[in-house]
Amino acid sequence: MIKTAHDVTTYRKDLKKALRNKFLGTTLDNFATGYRTSRAAAFSGIDFDALAREIAAGKDQSIARLRELLEQFTKQAEKAGVKVHFAGTAFEANSIIASIAKAGGVKHIVKGKSMTAEETFLNDHLEKEGFEVTETDLGEWIIQLRKEGPSHMVMPAIHLSRKEVADLFTKVTGKPHDPDDINGMVKVARKELRRKFLDAEMGISGANFAIAESGSIGLITNEGNGRLVTTLPRVHVALVGVDKLLPDMKSALRILMALPRNATGQLISTYVTWISGQTECKSSPDSKKEMHIVFLDNGRLALAGDPVFSQALRCIRCGACANVCPIYKLVGGHSYGHVYIGAIGLVLTYFYHGRRNARAIVRNCLNCQACKSVCPAGIDLPHLIKEVHRTVLKVEGKKPFKNLLLKKALENRRLFHFLLRRAYLAQKPLAEGQYLRHLPFLFSEEHNFRRLPVVAKVPLRDMWESINQRVENPRYRVALFGGCLTDFVYPEQAQALLRLCRDHGVQFEYPMEQTCCGLPAQMMGERETAKDVAVQNLKAVDPADYDYILTLCASCGSHLKENYLKLLSDEPALAVKASQLKDKLIDFSSFMIKVLKVDPEEFLKAGGKVAYHSPCHLCRGQGVTREPRELLSTAGLEYVPAKDEDVCCGFGGSFSIDFPEISAELLKRKLDNVEASGAETLVTDCPGCVLQLRGGMEKRGGRIKVKHIAEVVAEQKHSPQSRRDRGGKQSAEKCL
Amino acid sequence: MRQDDDLTLLKERAEAVQTITAEVADFRAACLYAVDVTVRQGGSSIAAPGLSGKNLSQLKAACKAGGLKILTKNLRGNIGQISTGFTVADWGIAETATLVMDSTSEDFRIATMLCETHVAILPKSKIVPDAMSLENELSSALKAAPRYLAFISGASRTADIERVLTIGVHGPQELHLMIVKGTGDDKNGS
Repeated sequence: MIKTAHDVTTYRKDLKKALRNKFLGTTLDNFATGYRTSRAAAFSGIDFDALAREIAAGKDQSIARLRELLEQFTKQAEKAGVKVHFAGTAFEANSIIASIAKAGGVKHIVKGKSMTAEETFLNDHLEKEGFEVTETDLGEWIIQLRKEGPSHMVMPAIHLSRKEVADLFTKVTGKPHDPDDINGMVKVARKELRRKFLDAEMGISGANFAIAESGSIGLITNEGNGRLVTTLPRVHVALVGVDKLLPDMKSALRILMALPRNATGQLISTYVTWISGQTECKSSPDSKKEMHIVFLDNGRLALAGDPVFSQALRCIRCGACANVCPIYKLVGGHSYGHVYIGAIGLVLTYFYHGRRNARAIVRNCLNCQACKSVCPAGIDLPHLIKEVHRTVLKVEGKKPFKNLLLKKALENRRLFHFLLRRAYLAQKPLAEGQYLRHLPFLFSEEHNFRRLPVVAKVPLRDMWESINQRVENPRYRVALFGGCLTDFVYPEQAQALLRLCRDHGVQFEYPMEQTCCGLPAQMMGERETAKDVAVQNLKAVDPADYDYILTLCASCGSHLKENYLKLLSDEPALAVKASQLKDKLIDFSSFMIKVLKVDPEEFLKAGGKVAYHSPCHLCRGQGVTREPRELLSTAGLEYVPAKDEDVCCGFGGSFSIDFPEISAELLKRKLDNVEASGAETLVTDCPGCVLQLRGGMEKRGGRIKVKHIAEVVAEQKHSPQSRRDRGGKQSAEKCL
Repeated sequence: MRQDDDLTLLKERAEAVQTITAEVADFRAACLYAVDVTVRQGGSSIAAPGLSGKNLSQLKAACKAGGLKILTKNLRGNIGQISTGFTVADWGIAETATLVMDSTSEDFRIATMLCETHVAILPKSKIVPDAMSLENELSSALKAAPRYLAFISGASRTADIERVLTIGVHGPQELHLMIVKGTGDDKNGS
């Protein structure tokens, strides 16, 4: 039923097919827009980050003592007449449930929605054993009839149109159904499934909570089918992952506070059901429900012991990581997971459904951090995805050519920079103004969705001494961390920075031994190379020598801040340096607003209309959102909001080489939104985003200029001459 | 007053999930309301498995006047014939407009799950601000197995077809909440 590509070539064919599905693209985009609003409203008055921290801490404590909680749960539940089973594997769980059904003389089974049962492919197993199994959640019933897997953990049939459902129901009932009568179709399910509930001898549910102190389970549903599944049939089996174990009611209520709000933007789901022991059931000979709880391990206990991956077990299955994922939004869950969908799906697939199913999908991550920012359990999803990617590459020993190339280049800074300088000469026959006319090798026609910039004739490091003026008695000593793009492609962005700071008493330095930040290596799963360059950079840029370390690149900044600590965690002295670097690292806009406290008087008035693209690695990676917008206004520019400002532009470094079709579509949507805003200039604060956005705008022949925020702000600055003259007339002379 | 704030919030949040609320003077008024709703909808019966004593007599009288059948036990045999389920809630949670009902009795569950309209009675004194306020009560209740506790916030709903919100997929199609002034000590009519 579920077929997940085992190699990137097949996977990319699946992705292209999904991208051609116009209904999917529109419906998921509408959903993402609606979800953003309803989620914000649902969390109004609640400190989401604090709640997420509490949930994470609580879950971590439970994960560390799963066996103990399991023992306590079992004792409590068995005291109340419940039979508790433990299944080591998916097959074992399915077999246990089939034997319970056989022993109980069961023929008909009704099921409530359970991702754990999807994980074990329980329905297939039971049907092979001759039982009739009916899914009773409307969405699950629809996909069961279509013989598909869910495309979302909470909304399993979100990929289907009303017409597809109407056609399906027409086939099932033998009567025609009007696609626009959704209420009528829901009533079909009410009627058809009511009979199934009454005929069933066994009900199977999952559980959102397993509470050890009382041996009880908790279920969250909206339709009410979960209540019927657990009430009408004489046997109830709950299939529960051991990761759902919690010590007490308080822990469960805390998760309940976050789950529906984060899943669907509801304050609470319509029904939350708490069951303890054998409840009354009059269709049973002794009027007591025969109740079984099957706990599933399937790799969870091993995962619980891992220092890096145990946090994946914090997941409360809200599905929010899919809701906000820009890639999910384009291709849907059938192309973005195996059984489990979204960011957590890319991680869990490797552990629950194996390397072959994870191998291709795990590469499909932009590292945009959108998932991480909404995870109610604070799971560092992009990091775990990269760690799985790295492990797969390592285990399979088949590294792509570009990985080997990058590794070789980055190991030796001199060689790397020699190659970049040579690139200027090598590209000469290909160059056409600022852009390359033809794409160099490694690229195919599919990469031609944006124009690529030429490498600068003189890199920043070679012009540094001539452009960086010495300051007497500086107020601040600041190291500029260039990053490859500022240094070798866009040195003008650094020139703009120097011009802006000229009269603020800032002494900049450009430590010449600095090299690539290492993020490209990290993104390709080359952790050792990433660590190697982290050490090179910490050697070159000693935080003790400076008041601030400034970078114009959001991606470098976010990587230096967050990943260096992780990469160097086993090297105590360097980890301290990484931590000091983190404390002193600052982005351009924050430096201007918070440190230099620039004043509107320094700038011209009445600049043009600018739209702002919020780089993933600045707004989420570094939590900077206010300062760039404030700086634009301070600099006399009119900031015009555009839709989805903080959604990824699709660059993602080497991502755009691996998955050009996804990158191109994200870029297209981004530029469409910017064009609709009425802006004359698109501003962002990451040279990577500039490369993507400017190249895309050039390719489509758009009229909107794309610039780094340092450039537009510098263009608005009064020249030194006019500053001295100010007080009388205002000069229109720009300082360029 | 805290309690009035909670009541206001509960009513506001109830409206957001299509729960129809009304404040009534006493239990009798709630019975008359339930009968009225059932008759208006063309229903024929009210299932009220949790009532006894004075409360039950009041409902019986109201049903008789309205020409409705009253069902109080062995509801499994009446599935498909229950127009209205009429039950008293143990608590109301203001923040989410949630009714907390001890549904351990099978009849109670059938009345609230398999009726077309659910009329729930909530004594004003039983309103709490949020779920966390009930942590101890819920925890103790679940430790006293067997126990089936239900949180109900609105009518049964789905958005599984093109995310269009549709009410009444498996459970009741309407939820009416009668908030009764007074102490609420008369849950069982005693």
